Amino acid sequence: MKPIIAEPTDEHLVKDALSGDEEAFVRLVGRYKRKVFGLSARFARDADELDDICQDIFIKIYENLGKFRNDAPFEHWLSRVAVRTCYDVLRRRKREKGMVPWDAVHYEIADSGRGETEAAEEAHRVLEWGMARLKPAERLVITLLELEEKSVREIAGMTGWSEANVKVRAFRARQKLKQLLEKHHER
Amino acid sequence: MKDERDELLDRLFSAARMKKLDFADTGDYFETRLMATLAERREGRRTWSAWSWRLVPWFATLVIIIGIAGYLFDTGRSGDLFATFTGDDEYQVSSLVAGE
Repeated sequence: MKPIIAEPTDEHLVKDALSGDEEAFVRLVGRYKRKVFGLSARFARDADELDDICQDIFIKIYENLGKFRNDAPFEHWLSRVAVRTCYDVLRRRKREKGMVPWDAVHYEIADSGRGETEAAEEAHRVLEWGMARLKPAERLVITLLELEEKSVREIAGMTGWSEANVKVRAFRARQKLKQLLEKHHER
Repeated sequence: MKDERDELLDRLFSAARMKKLDFADTGDYFETRLMATLAERREGRRTWSAWSWRLVPWFATLVIIIGIAGYLFDTGRSGDLFATFTGDDEYQVSSLVAGE
């Protein structure tokens, strides 16, 4: 009978990585890269930018491993770093107005004649267009709330903003998006 | 209360959530690239630190040379505050002090 080898915990891997074991850090990266890629893909414009954002996140994680306290799960700390890095990316990015003209955007997603994938693609494109016109903080909040389906409390924890602040930003983002869609519909 | 626009927005969000984010290719060899970047950053930092330490003897030598040169070519200081005033200057100063 083969002995059962338990998977090392995140905290164990962090401890090993801090003592110079690079393999332990690689295992941590492997464990969470899908999650980090999934979140960053909501903000990246292309595959190259996505790769850059993810590298940036894990570099920050590696260089600040010593600051990780075991009072919360490693995953929470990682999420916080990832969200803040994505927010920095949004703030750095110049306004993207005019990248996609109105005429190229359609949002007839109720049309049952088309496939789900196609509708999802189109919805994503429309939202991308609208979100590019929001303030970075508003875009971050609405993405986490509506696309990543995080709760207000979770978002507050990840961003460091108060729950009231998160709610206000989400409300403003929704109002702006509705206005944008309406303006488009009138055309 | 939710209006028509809210419903439309909710439908958009719901459809966008369905979109599969494809990053299979991007994730290939990600760990390898990441570790290479980290090694490069470490190496860069180490090189800079090594260079700064290597420059220490040069700076020390420079300080010693400046010290020696300063000592050898020192013209000497005088306690006399008016030592720099000579000749014509001295006459002007004494005129000024005397109020002439």
